Amino acid sequence: MFERRHLKNLDFPLIIVTILLLLFGLVAIASATHFTAGEKSNAPYYLTRQVVGIFLGLVAILFILRIDYNDLAKISWGLYGINLGLLALVDILGHTTLGAQRWIKIGPLQLQPSELAKVLIIITFADFLQKRAGRLNSLRQMLPCFIYIAIPALLIMKQPDLGTTLVFIAIMFGMMYTAGARPAILLSIFLGGLALAIGVVYGQYHFGWKWPLEEYQLKRLTAFLNPTRDPLGSGYQVIQSLVAIGSGGVFGKGLFKGTQIGLDFLPRDEQHTDFIFAVLGEELGLVGELVLLFLFFLFLYRCLVIAARAKDLYGTLLAAGVVSMVSFHLLVNIGMTTGIMPVTGIPLPFISYGGSSILANLAAVGLLLNVNMRRRKITF
Amino acid sequence: MLGSGIVMRRRIATLFAVTALALFFLLGRVAYLQFVRGSELQRRALENRMADIRVDGKRGNIYDRNGQELVRSVSADTLYAVPVQIKNPRETAEKLAAILGRKADDIYKIITRPTNFEYIEKKIADPEKVKKIRELKLPGVYFQEDSRRVYPNDNLASHVLGYVGIDNNGLAGIESTMDKELRGQPGWIVQERDARGREMPQALHKYIPPKDGNHLVLTIDATIQHFVERELDRIMVEHRAKQATIIVMDPKTGEILAMGNRPDFNPNQWEKYPAEVRDRNLAVWLNYEPGSTFKVVTAAAALEEGVVTPNDRFYDPGFIMVDGERINCWAAGGHGSQSFVEVVQNSCNPGFITIGLKLGKEKFCRYLNAFGFGRPTGVELPGEGTGILYNEKEITNVNLATMSIGQSVSVTPIQLITAVAAVANDGRLMKPHIVKEIRSPDGKQVKKIKPEMVRQVISRDTARQLRGILEKVVLYGSGKNAAVEGYRVGGKTGTAQKAGPNGGYMPGKYIASFVGFVPVEDPRLVILVVVDEPEGMYYGSQVAAPHFQAVARDALRYLGIPPKIDANSKKDKEDKNTKKVTVPSLVNLPLTEAVHKVQAAGLRSRVEGAGEVVLEQLPKPGSVVPAETEIILYVGPWGEVKEGQEVTVPDLTGLTLQEASELLGMLGLRLETEPGATGYAVSQDVAPGTRVRAGTKVKVRFAPPLLESGP
Repeated sequence: MFERRHLKNLDFPLIIVTILLLLFGLVAIASATHFTAGEKSNAPYYLTRQVVGIFLGLVAILFILRIDYNDLAKISWGLYGINLGLLALVDILGHTTLGAQRWIKIGPLQLQPSELAKVLIIITFADFLQKRAGRLNSLRQMLPCFIYIAIPALLIMKQPDLGTTLVFIAIMFGMMYTAGARPAILLSIFLGGLALAIGVVYGQYHFGWKWPLEEYQLKRLTAFLNPTRDPLGSGYQVIQSLVAIGSGGVFGKGLFKGTQIGLDFLPRDEQHTDFIFAVLGEELGLVGELVLLFLFFLFLYRCLVIAARAKDLYGTLLAAGVVSMVSFHLLVNIGMTTGIMPVTGIPLPFISYGGSSILANLAAVGLLLNVNMRRRKITF
Repeated sequence: MLGSGIVMRRRIATLFAVTALALFFLLGRVAYLQFVRGSELQRRALENRMADIRVDGKRGNIYDRNGQELVRSVSADTLYAVPVQIKNPRETAEKLAAILGRKADDIYKIITRPTNFEYIEKKIADPEKVKKIRELKLPGVYFQEDSRRVYPNDNLASHVLGYVGIDNNGLAGIESTMDKELRGQPGWIVQERDARGREMPQALHKYIPPKDGNHLVLTIDATIQHFVERELDRIMVEHRAKQATIIVMDPKTGEILAMGNRPDFNPNQWEKYPAEVRDRNLAVWLNYEPGSTFKVVTAAAALEEGVVTPNDRFYDPGFIMVDGERINCWAAGGHGSQSFVEVVQNSCNPGFITIGLKLGKEKFCRYLNAFGFGRPTGVELPGEGTGILYNEKEITNVNLATMSIGQSVSVTPIQLITAVAAVANDGRLMKPHIVKEIRSPDGKQVKKIKPEMVRQVISRDTARQLRGILEKVVLYGSGKNAAVEGYRVGGKTGTAQKAGPNGGYMPGKYIASFVGFVPVEDPRLVILVVVDEPEGMYYGSQVAAPHFQAVARDALRYLGIPPKIDANSKKDKEDKNTKKVTVPSLVNLPLTEAVHKVQAAGLRSRVEGAGEVVLEQLPKPGSVVPAETEIILYVGPWGEVKEGQEVTVPDLTGLTLQEASELLGMLGLRLETEPGATGYAVSQDVAPGTRVRAGTKVKVRFAPPLLESGP
């Protein structure tokens, strides 16, 4: 299965970019968990765990590379079933953090199935789509695709994890678009859904509807529009995040010197996770963020190159799914920390602390490398 | 496959464009935050970590003109919390609540707010509480040095001094008008803290010290103020007045030497008094119809304008007709034929109305203005009234007539005394003032407020002439009760019916007043006494003049102003000074009787407290003291004796059975006699002056008088 010639076809730029992003992340986590307020630094603890996550991710990459990705397509229904099973398990055995059930415990590890679910859905949906290629021209033809995604998405929404649900929808749109679905229909569904969502939020906000969002979710979602309305409550994170980024300036305050971070104005358990972009903004300034965004740009560029030269539609769709996932994460996470998106709590890929997230993203990189490795000889 | 491949690649290119655009957009947003809003957000970050704690400077003290302390600031500790540092808020709240005597839930709410700093309780007066809280060593709970206002003389000059609120802000009186001077500059403790409120080692720490407030020296003389307060107490007791006010002014400078009102309040516990009591300084706030005291103004204008001379003759049939309206003289039947001097002496209404009408409204109004009526005097006290005058154009002859006798014109006490002081000061109207000096916290003079002459209202000659006439009012007229032995006193009484809320006058409701100055040849004091709604007697001559006399007499003696005495009275006085007197027993006597007894013994009295019965006296009965010594009478209300309370047994000797039984009854004691006792008490088994519990039986022996004393 694993042939020498394949190794030559490893996409080294992608590997280098990924390594740089991971290093960037480790530095950010070190800074975010290093407290200046006379307390013992927590950095070693978080760094160790993150490194373990990266290690597991590397193991996952090696494991994925050994398999021909087309073999994955063969077991896609089984993987889909496992995916649904894991998500259902969360509802039963779930471990609650921050008001949401997202974890299940496996020995010493806490696994966040929703992170892995994203990768699994890319793998299985790609297969689902490739079988329908060329037959995605009407709403009726597309309907099965929506149902296919809706089942795991609803399970995740029930946790509740709105952010990941939205990631699923983004993956779906990205992959269907790449698979050749009619853009007009996709666009109208997208706009219709957006309008519906805004309508629901508006209705809950102005007419006191009690459904479908809980009040705290609603507050969190709308806080970015006017964070000063509740500066010590739902608007707190957004304000403090803006202050952190804005006070960084061009060159930042220097690593480990951010006061917003070191002094916990940003909630401590979110500095190294969802709001890590703010840490970088404060400490490394515009230059640091520019470098980070450029690395992501390179990453996505490599992904799309791989997508373009994949030997079959399945490979292309896998790559497109990863691109959709990562870019949506970027948009929502950075949008949230800079105050232009609702706070939905999804991590910054490769940077945020979190083993499951790292594992899932590295697994995705593994898929990309796999697709590239087994591409057609002829390049374009 | 190839066709779809091209479509697919185009789509991948689009996807790439979209993601690139998204990244570019995010970069733009970051740049916007860091460039456009950078400085604003940097400031926010700095503010985030700076916890500012305001530290008030020590509020300046207030002294009387001789340096006696009227108000001072003492240290008091303010308790505050740094909520994030509190480990166990529930327990902390409960422990604090127990010591502070507050609800644990309230404190819990304060100390769980998501901030860096919250006050729990300001200015804790009781050092015991502070000590107990310190001993608890609760994390996140700290004290800040603060100060508290203390008024060592309690009610003395309460309306002049005012009081301060919890934030050291003056809310009434001088405390309010001179707040800026007294308050100083607040300082700040700027402490860099993290989000949990922990102070950071090597953090920025800045202390901007507060500047203490300046001290004030008032024109008030605490001793004269004491005389005023004493007389006000007497007025309230003797006349059961609704309210009263007395002002003492130095006519040469406009300095207010004393100013007091009833009802008054204790600034140490100002919250316990209704706002209309503590915030109304009647002396400057009250608008009232001055009645006859206002005739001083009418007379001054008329003499100055040459409308009248002292010897002009007037005839008073008991009334005067003005435009068909009949206005009566207060004296039924009238005063008949009299000179102008006699008109003033008799306070004759038709006489003054004649003069007023002769003067005309234009000139009259000019003098009202010149004397300062109808607008605030500008004294440094809050809530000053303006008085109410008719618009000159609207004044009819009837209005002018009634205004000439001090009705249908409304003035404030401070306006009236200021106007009369101008007469006393040779026609020079001085601006009344109460702040004499401002001193820095270390006692150096910062500013001295100089007397300010507003204008010459009448000529020196007119003023002197009028003073001579007003002296006759005291010598021969309605002001006899104001006469002070050994001094030449001038003044004018006033008895004005009060206007009701719906216009028209209220029957039986009067304002009795007296305004006067002493000594006539070179006035040093002007005193105004206003008594609102006295019960019983209501003439200014009866109700107000005696208190003018008492204040004037004591103030003159205190100031060492030499009397113009003839030989007799001088000798008499020396006798008095050397004579020794035995202090009579006054306990349990009604106040009026006690005061008479004190006077009869050649002593003076001072009343402390409120009520009609003497509860305690100092010195004790039987002590031998020099004549004119002041006896302090502690008075209280009748009939508040509870079973078991200690009372002093009175001397019953000479009382009839019924009198003895009433007196003992009021004290909660029981009378025991032999059956069929008649005549007067001759002995009692519990000696007078003994302290016993209420309910004790006192056995009294009565005997009929042996003999009516014969020639």
